[in-house]
Amino acid sequence: MLRRSLALTAVVVAVAWSASGLEVGIDRLVRAPGDAWAVFRQMVPPAFGQAIDRNVPSKVLESVHIAWIGTMIGAVLSFPLAFLAAGNVAPAAVRAPIRQLFNVIRAVPELILAVILIPVTGLGPWAGALAIGIHSVGTLGKWATEAIEGVDGGPLEAVSATGGRWVSGMRWGVLPQVLPVVTSHWLFRFEINVRASAVLGMIGAGGVGAELVSQLVFRNFAAAGAVLLMTIVVVLAIDTASAAVRRRIIRGAAVTVGDDSDDRNAAALADLTGLGRPPLG
Amino acid sequence: MTESGRPSRPRLRARTWLIVAALATYTVLAGQTVGFDLGTFWTVWSNPLWEKFWPIPWDWVLDRHNVIDPLVETFQIAIVSTLVGCAVALPVAFAMSPLTSPNRVTLVVSRSMMGVVRAVPDLFWAKLLVTAVGIGAFAGSWALSVFSLGVMVKLFSETVDGADPRPLEAARASGGRHLPVVRAGVLPTVLPEYVAYALYVFELNIRASVVLGLVGAGGIGRVVEAQRQYFRFDRVLGVLVIVFVVVFVIEQVSVAIRKRLI
Repeated sequence: MLRRSLALTAVVVAVAWSASGLEVGIDRLVRAPGDAWAVFRQMVPPAFGQAIDRNVPSKVLESVHIAWIGTMIGAVLSFPLAFLAAGNVAPAAVRAPIRQLFNVIRAVPELILAVILIPVTGLGPWAGALAIGIHSVGTLGKWATEAIEGVDGGPLEAVSATGGRWVSGMRWGVLPQVLPVVTSHWLFRFEINVRASAVLGMIGAGGVGAELVSQLVFRNFAAAGAVLLMTIVVVLAIDTASAAVRRRIIRGAAVTVGDDSDDRNAAALADLTGLGRPPLG
Repeated sequence: MTESGRPSRPRLRARTWLIVAALATYTVLAGQTVGFDLGTFWTVWSNPLWEKFWPIPWDWVLDRHNVIDPLVETFQIAIVSTLVGCAVALPVAFAMSPLTSPNRVTLVVSRSMMGVVRAVPDLFWAKLLVTAVGIGAFAGSWALSVFSLGVMVKLFSETVDGADPRPLEAARASGGRHLPVVRAGVLPTVLPEYVAYALYVFELNIRASVVLGLVGAGGIGRVVEAQRQYFRFDRVLGVLVIVFVVVFVIEQVSVAIRKRLI
């Protein structure tokens, strides 16, 4: 009971300190909802004509392309590394540095990577794709490592019993077990990356973000509303389609891999959010 | 006994090949659109601009006024928005779960609204609110509150979905009204997870609040953006180093607390 009240006090103090630090006067707090509502009102109805004239649909698609290429870069770079980071198949000396690499990469947001990359690669979608690709290596690598650590050791033993080398063990003992889970990780990451690439455009790394910023800067809220709505539709469509495919991949895997594979896949997916629950559905 | 022979090697079906081919084609086309260039991985290292990132001017970075104050503001934004977002998320998540929703209309409306809220990327919210209520930490906290709400309802409503329905049924059978029934029947069973998720959202917010300043929504990102525009990449790098050390420490603490909670 004492611990609980201590924790509660700590939260209250932290929040009070934070709120006072933001220097928000009562008048601003009262006025803000009205201001936000005024902007929202001007967004409706959205000016789709203007947005189409300015090629916004192709910008939205560009964001999708950036996200896809970024995901592919992340997948290609992270998957082989994951085999060297998994506790059950890699020696400890190799494992530790690669895991740390994943951790460090994960800690740097795409936007910060883009800030660093843009001066070197120049403005444009390639900077965005590269930033997303590098950042994805961190998460995809971690997830794939966990998937590999969750495999059934039987097939791996069978390969080594017949005299197979390490590579054959990975190819025939591990890969078939983890491929469905890892593919669904890639798709999940793609969903996240679509949002990330839309945001990256705001600092000049290609895609729809730049369009939203310029419409808002000119206070052309009707056009901004159209940009926003097009982005939302595409993001929702991709989320829905990708979630359906992921579910299909995991269920399909349950039939081909074995009896307990459903549990195993779920367990391998479990730590995606760091919360011990699969991101399905 | 006939010999058993080797099992036939599994072959990919035609449909699988078709899907792989289609995805490969799309990848190539998308790669061309974004200007995919394998050479970058090498040329990027020889770019003379890297010299501008080094050495890190530690006197400037460690000056309280330059980095520490904005960083403190970043954490204040994260703390306030975690609280606001998670507080609003509690009733909304109950409305979003079939188990606890008062009626079907509330369920459908809250679900679709939250779907749209989540579909808008976090920094889009920040930019929108900066435009609406002005540059600064206030817009940032608001944007991050909305973002926290979106994440929190997603995670927490699934917990509510999976809650044990028996206490709820018992409370309902004793003839309680909807709100007291939910409060007594479901809330106690999901509260530890609620707190753990709130901490997780706090971690996300710390990370997100680092970049808010890039669109004018306050915090340390403001410093990054300003120095970037002056081409002082050495300072940018210095700021980032500090940020990541601090963020890393906070995450370790939060993860440790979360592990004890669940």
